Amino acid sequence: MSDNLLLECDVLVLGAGPGGYSAAFRAADLGMKVILVERYPTLGGVCLNVGCIPSKALLHVAGVTEEAQALAAHGVSFGAPQIDLDKLRGWKTQVVSKLTGGLAMMAKGRKVTVVQGNARFIDPHHMEVTLTDGKNQAIQFAKAIIAAGSQAVKLPFMPDDPRVVDSTGALELPQMPERMLVIGGGIIGLEMATVYSTLGAKIDVVEMMDGLMAGADRDLVKVWEKKNAKRFNKIMLKTKTVAAEARPDGVYVSFTGEQAPAAPERYDLVLVAVGRRPNGQHIGAELAGVAVDERGFIAVDRQQRTNVPHIYAIGDIVGQPMLAHKAVHEGHVAAEAAEGRRSFMDARQIPSVAYTDPEVAWAGVTEDEARAQGLRYGKAVFPWAASGRAIANGRDEGFTKLLFDEETHRVIGGGIVGTHAGDLISEICLAIEMGCEAGDIGKTIHPHPTLGESIGMAAELYEGVCTDLPPKNK
Amino acid sequence: MAIEVKVPDIGDFTNIPVIEVLVKVGDTVRAEDALVTLESDKATMEVPAPSAGVVKELKVKLGDKVSEGSVILILEAHDEAAKPATAAVAASPATHSAPAASASTAPPIVPTTPTTAQLDVAETAVPNQPGRAAINPTNPPIAPVDQESFVMAHASPVIRQFARELGVDLSKVKGSAPKGRILREDVQAFVKSVLQSAASAPGGAAAGIGLGLLPWPQVDFAKYGPIEALPLSRIKKMSGANLHRNWVMIPHVTNNDDADITELESFRLQLNQENAKSGVKVTLLAFLIKAVCNALKKFPELNASLDGDNLILKHYYNIGFAADTPNGLVVPVIKDADKKGVMQIAAEASAFAAKARDGKLGPADMTGGTFSISSLGGIGGTYFTPIINAPEVAILGVCRSTIRPVWRDNAFVPRLVAPLSLSYDHRVIDGASAARFNTYLVGLLADMRRATL
Repeated sequence: MSDNLLLECDVLVLGAGPGGYSAAFRAADLGMKVILVERYPTLGGVCLNVGCIPSKALLHVAGVTEEAQALAAHGVSFGAPQIDLDKLRGWKTQVVSKLTGGLAMMAKGRKVTVVQGNARFIDPHHMEVTLTDGKNQAIQFAKAIIAAGSQAVKLPFMPDDPRVVDSTGALELPQMPERMLVIGGGIIGLEMATVYSTLGAKIDVVEMMDGLMAGADRDLVKVWEKKNAKRFNKIMLKTKTVAAEARPDGVYVSFTGEQAPAAPERYDLVLVAVGRRPNGQHIGAELAGVAVDERGFIAVDRQQRTNVPHIYAIGDIVGQPMLAHKAVHEGHVAAEAAEGRRSFMDARQIPSVAYTDPEVAWAGVTEDEARAQGLRYGKAVFPWAASGRAIANGRDEGFTKLLFDEETHRVIGGGIVGTHAGDLISEICLAIEMGCEAGDIGKTIHPHPTLGESIGMAAELYEGVCTDLPPKNK
Repeated sequence: MAIEVKVPDIGDFTNIPVIEVLVKVGDTVRAEDALVTLESDKATMEVPAPSAGVVKELKVKLGDKVSEGSVILILEAHDEAAKPATAAVAASPATHSAPAASASTAPPIVPTTPTTAQLDVAETAVPNQPGRAAINPTNPPIAPVDQESFVMAHASPVIRQFARELGVDLSKVKGSAPKGRILREDVQAFVKSVLQSAASAPGGAAAGIGLGLLPWPQVDFAKYGPIEALPLSRIKKMSGANLHRNWVMIPHVTNNDDADITELESFRLQLNQENAKSGVKVTLLAFLIKAVCNALKKFPELNASLDGDNLILKHYYNIGFAADTPNGLVVPVIKDADKKGVMQIAAEASAFAAKARDGKLGPADMTGGTFSISSLGGIGGTYFTPIINAPEVAILGVCRSTIRPVWRDNAFVPRLVAPLSLSYDHRVIDGASAARFNTYLVGLLADMRRATL
């Protein structure tokens, strides 16, 4: 079975994404002997290698480029950007390798053994890894944490063609397309659309649902839509992609639905970003007795335990939302539970951020959810048009919204649309976890002039003590 | 016709919890079907349906406290001539078991004591979030924490973690900071109060003592042959908990002696002959009860209870006796047995035994005892160690009487001998007193005329 000597450990962590490495490092810090199994040569998973981080490197470039161009309106003009795709790729790669290199160092520092290869369970206490040299390595574990993540959903009718990519392919910047189609109007698709449009592509977005950026309140999305109206050639809602044909001059894609064009459209690059599927079916879970549902998810309890008590699962593979920061916290809970601690996943909120321009971020209960659940909630919206800093930035289109429990005045949710919304949302996350009331936030002195002030002012507004807005008409 | 089904006369109890709701809205019930189970500190009682019908509305839920007259549910009766909705309550005694009677005036240990209800002591697995499956790990939860309320309790993340470490259900903790915010100190105080109440309540004492025992051996019995798992009855479980507590908490000593009942037996047979027509049969038990009352008056510390630093001497003599029934063992109590003649005691005991067999003993029939007798005379054996029925301090066990050679006047003579086993609480009674009590009792039984002295 095993070509090499059997390896043994207290905890085996399958998958070295943010959830996996966090679990492995936490377990090691708790004194357990840890083996981290990863199929790719670098640690960090999708997030660091082909997800969150490289996309942010490119979005940073796109953002600064657009900001520079926007300065023309304020009297400072630059020439048209000269884009060196190779160099841009290099910058992105450098960012990624700096982080993954750091992870490798930290694994070493913690004496976490990293085994590279494709792994599957062979029984409830053994895993077999096909190493890069083709040999098989058996690993015996007392406990295991499954952090095997997810992969992009493929559309069966899309041709196998280098011009049809998923998010990983799009991040490689294979070419500078003239016309690009983004299938799926979720966060990933819109972030990539932001990058490519800045680089000069003419972009169409097709989405089956009746709106973009599902999950966010519509009032937030509307601000983004208005600001980005010119970014897109067209946005086709309630429209389905039904066929595609690769021809020498481009990929021809056909649509049906409300806003579908009659004839197939030609694109130089097609990004398929219609969601992610968990990898539950590819790890031999059944041989360990771990139950995996038909979609590939693994059900866990509040301590991240699967139906097999000594095997835990975390991250994308246990369910939505498929977000790195959720996985990290689950990883810590799983590692601590595996060590015998009474750790539970007791978070009240998991924030979401679209790193578009402007950014859209939300946490806790959304207004749509509050309405659907019939919660008695109150709302305060502070428009950035009243924020000195936003105006000075030339970006006052956004707003900050807080939702409160009407009875206790505790903050239960919030949403921000505007530049740096993703950085600003953390204060709302903390407020929700701490059970802060509007007064707690309003009476906290925020530095002036900042975008963060808008959160304090929204809270003041709720309590009727905001002096940065016109008086209410009585 | 819709009728309100109310809690019937349940004796001296108020605010007793509903421990089982046996029907749900829409259920069709027959007359006398059990609707809910109530549990007093003495017994569990089922409230039966006064007539056949359909349950229209439930007015109580699990854990609700009810008293006589509380409305349990609305019944749409099939039978137009439905009786008024207060039915007799059928009680199945909760706390008695053989060979020792173990009735108790303290709440029995059931999984609703604060220790288990509020401290999530078991390593439990609980659903993570809506839409995720609940997983049942090796240990099923004893007292599931209300996860939703736990997360929303007014406490910061680090306090939530602290509560998890201690197994505290945050939704049950009252916060002391402004607007009810829960602080670390509140969680600590909660744990302290739960432990203290568990320790001071006799029922939960084991939790406060911490015997530091080894874990129960885990054996895969099926490995060695075919097995079968039979769930313990409620009565068994509750009496077991009482017996366990009594055994662990009371330093038992058992003093064995033999009573020559040759004369008594012939007197008994003679009486039964005389009373053949009236139907009342005098048993040895009736004489034992009478004799015990007499002995208790001479040795009052055996008719007592410990209360902290005080010994409570009781000037009444209520004698419980263990009775075997299909539902388990029960201990009906003959009140003021010292004031009653043997014939009356025999009649009462036989009425109680019949009631017990039919499951009709009420809580009032089984409370207030001051001393218990467990008789295995009809079965066999020589001596045994009866377990004291706390908070009583002594119990008399009797085995089968046999003819034995007894050395008398330079010769062995055949005598009928009853083996007696007196277990006593050594904190209250010392060995000499117990021996004197037994000797005195043996003397009485040898010659019941002495009981009149």
